[in-house]
Amino acid sequence: MTTTPTITPYRSTLEATGRDGFAQLLRAEWTKFRTVRRWVLGMVAAVLVTVLISLLGAAGNHVSNNGEPVPKAPDGTVVTDSFGFVHRTLTGNGSITARVRSLTGSGSDGALSWAKAGIMIKAGTKQGAGYVALMVTPGHGVRLQYDFTHDLAGPSAKVSTGSPRWLRLTRAGSAYTGYESADGTHWTEVGTVRPAAIPAAAQAGVFVTTPMREKVTRAFGSTSVVAGGASATGVLDHVDLTGDKGQWAIDRVGHGDLNQPDKPAGSVSGDTFTVNGTGDIAPDVSAPDVVGKTLGGVLLGLLVVIAVATLFITAEYRRDMMRTTLAASPRRGRVVAAKAVVIGAVTFLAGLVATCVSYPLALHSLRKNGFAPYAAHAQMAFTNGTVMRVVIGSALLLALAAVLALALGVVLRSSAGAITLVAVLVVLPQILSYVLPLTAGHWLLRLTPAAAFAIQQGTSPDAYPQVAHACLPEGGCYPLSPWSGLGVLGVYAAVALALAVWRLNRRDA
Amino acid sequence: MRRELHAEWTKLRTLPSTGRLLLAVAMLTVAVSALSAAAVSTRLCRSPAGCHEDTVKLGLSGVGLGQAAVVILGVLAMSGEYGTGTIRTTLAAMPRRSTLFAAKAAVVSGSAMAAGALGVLGSLLAARLILPGNGFTPAAGYPPISLADGPTLRAAAGSVLYLGLIALLSLGAATVLRDSAAAITVVLGLLYAFPVITQLVTDPDWHARMQRYAPMTAGLAIQATRNLGRLPIGPWPGLGVLAAYAGAALLAGGVLLRARDA
Repeated sequence: MTTTPTITPYRSTLEATGRDGFAQLLRAEWTKFRTVRRWVLGMVAAVLVTVLISLLGAAGNHVSNNGEPVPKAPDGTVVTDSFGFVHRTLTGNGSITARVRSLTGSGSDGALSWAKAGIMIKAGTKQGAGYVALMVTPGHGVRLQYDFTHDLAGPSAKVSTGSPRWLRLTRAGSAYTGYESADGTHWTEVGTVRPAAIPAAAQAGVFVTTPMREKVTRAFGSTSVVAGGASATGVLDHVDLTGDKGQWAIDRVGHGDLNQPDKPAGSVSGDTFTVNGTGDIAPDVSAPDVVGKTLGGVLLGLLVVIAVATLFITAEYRRDMMRTTLAASPRRGRVVAAKAVVIGAVTFLAGLVATCVSYPLALHSLRKNGFAPYAAHAQMAFTNGTVMRVVIGSALLLALAAVLALALGVVLRSSAGAITLVAVLVVLPQILSYVLPLTAGHWLLRLTPAAAFAIQQGTSPDAYPQVAHACLPEGGCYPLSPWSGLGVLGVYAAVALALAVWRLNRRDA
Repeated sequence: MRRELHAEWTKLRTLPSTGRLLLAVAMLTVAVSALSAAAVSTRLCRSPAGCHEDTVKLGLSGVGLGQAAVVILGVLAMSGEYGTGTIRTTLAAMPRRSTLFAAKAAVVSGSAMAAGALGVLGSLLAARLILPGNGFTPAAGYPPISLADGPTLRAAAGSVLYLGLIALLSLGAATVLRDSAAAITVVLGLLYAFPVITQLVTDPDWHARMQRYAPMTAGLAIQATRNLGRLPIGPWPGLGVLAAYAGAALLAGGVLLRARDA
């Protein structure tokens, strides 16, 4: 009689630790990426295409301002500085007071909402010189502005002959304080500011100006902006400047009404001043956005990145590699996460190389093509916040688009479908926004992933709320601020990732 | 040729993706056209006549999105065979490669144009119904859209031809590249990225030149019915530019199909 020997099945005594950790998964996915030659070459191609097209775009851009100097604020911002100015020298501490009696504009629709009449202390009559100004505007109340880019709101008073407005600006050392009053006896402080570089001997007086009339018209299926001449006339009385009691000088800073170039800037009778002006005192929002023009190639590099990122997942399905991947790592959500991290990181680094190479080369080309006055060295350096945002943000844009493509690749499992869907979502809204009416175009650029290209703008559309400006998509203007635009793409990528994890968990591979 | 046509038609017809894509061509075209028509109103202009709106072109703007589905259709018709290896069976059964390629081109462009025709007619119908409500009335100088009008008929027929040429361009690119991802990226880059990059170039000479030679902007000139003198390129020469792209892609594809092993 024999007894069947009991067989003890072999059990491995090795611990499985470190095998299914996320770090292992990342390493596995990175190994997959780096060993497929087409994907690596694709990423290199994306970098080359980005650099090449950025350079071509920069080389095709020319600007000419007929050799006229470009006015710049003390901090280097390109500005518009043009107004009628009745002034005399103020040395040391002192104050100027005036009552704004009326502010009227040329044209049928009256003064523009950002027309300005008030008092000013300015370093000199040169365009771009530092200043502090307290003013009344028809649409935005009393404002205290200085050095072009700074704007403080006062009470929202309106000026008419029936209800004039008193303004007072005092200087004590480097501090300038604005006051306003309805009756000239009860004063309210608007604010105290410390502008840069106004010398002891400054010019103080009353000024009037108005921005150009911007007319947005649609014709032949596209929207265009026509800047029309506008001029404003202000009447100020009870003008009182402490200190120096010299003669009032009537000057025009910048240009006057282009239709009447010889018209005097104003007249003085007793303590009543009638001043006219045109052109505005503000950052020049229509100046060429040099930083924004340097990375045009990102759009084309993006298409290549989308293709590589999609293939990173769809190729696994086509070659049935997905079954091995999921057998090795049954927690499917983690597979998607690891793939997203790897493709996002690789794309970000490749994109950063592309933008860091493109930017200085394209900038050099743009400077040669006439953009030098708009590209001051300090503002174009890599250490400048805006430049850093554009260069790093463009790489982030590529990385987020790659994650979106990967996620849609999991959902659709088809390279053709996923690539086309992402390309259509990111690029087509921009083309449509050129031909659709402005409001519809703006919504398209707010709601679709195309909003992310806002990160490439040198100037944000809402950077200077004190300047009215039509934001045209064909002019490279995106309605959202840079980071919220990129956030829109981030939301799309996150939702697509969640959808991808859900689909992967529900379906057989 | 009849056998080849029959074989290619059977292959295309029995793929589940074909029906979905052709449906997408028609639906996307109509949807975007209708939305664009609904988004435009004469209230945005000083006077209704001052809008100078090309209502026919506006009503056909969905072709810009519909073509994306045509690109997928054209690319997959060829790269799908390479991806799965069917191409070897195909070539064994039909050794005359030029005839085979011609048959494939005819079947693919024919079905794209059939779906495109539905989309174009639907778009024009939608525009005809929507636009008068937005102020584009005959009294304001915008006669109702009708195919009896010469330029409108040209725009409609031309848009259908445009979609057929896009299918041929995609088929040619896929035959050259033999890979769906690469072919789709190249064709979409040519169609979509070109106009955006054109917008970045401010130099007027270069801008106009790029608009004339970009396949999408040039080809869609066929949709213009007003102010033809202000177009960067005329309607038929514009479609000719796209035809040249499609012809070059087909030629390269045909030559390589004959020359290379599958």
